[in-house]
Amino acid sequence: MAAQFGLSRSTLLYYDRIGLLRPDYRTSAGYRLYNAADRQRLELICRFRSAGLSLARIERLLDRPQPTRSAMTTALQGRLTALNREIAALRRQQQVVVNLLQQKGSARRTRIMDKARWIALMRAAGMNDAEMHRWHEEFEQQSPEAHQDFLESLGLPAAEIRQIRRGTVRRT
Amino acid sequence: MNKITKDQFVAVLEAAGITAPQREKLHVAFERQQPAAHQQFLEWLGLPAETIGKIREHSRQ
Repeated sequence: MAAQFGLSRSTLLYYDRIGLLRPDYRTSAGYRLYNAADRQRLELICRFRSAGLSLARIERLLDRPQPTRSAMTTALQGRLTALNREIAALRRQQQVVVNLLQQKGSARRTRIMDKARWIALMRAAGMNDAEMHRWHEEFEQQSPEAHQDFLESLGLPAAEIRQIRRGTVRRT
Repeated sequence: MNKITKDQFVAVLEAAGITAPQREKLHVAFERQQPAAHQQFLEWLGLPAETIGKIREHSRQ
């Protein structure tokens, strides 16, 4: 079964030891026999693992008598929040690295965008200040979360992001 | 992670009065000045790899 799920044998042994996935039956020779329900459980474990949930979290989720949709939603939302935080932290690091490398002309190769580069692009596309302002307004109104995410991706400090978002809110 | 779709993003640009030819120019400038960031931006919009490849190729012409 380990091979079918792309896991090592020791992983299954470990899951057994911590009580996350106990085989249905153990033969006298020590072989672990898993039934269809075990298999289903392992499938869920693998899926939640690939979403980055911890084994402890998965166990709490699966060991409810009836794993409800809302419990899963809560767990996954928590994970999404953590991922967003990690991405924001990585972006800050990326910005620092780019700044350190800047003199070596790495900007063209980097995947990072900053405010100046984005503004340069908007201008190259023929957009003026009024249009850019209007764009922020619309962005804030239609997709406030994505607006925040976008501004973070430009490596702007939190205070400036707040200012941009507030400014555009006030004027609408 | 993806909080906005490509269609929503286009709707925001349209609402701000940014026309299709301007959007086209944006892609061309993006591809020329910041090819790697262009890729990342398109990924951020949640577009499949194949579509991203086509958009970038089109922007280079």
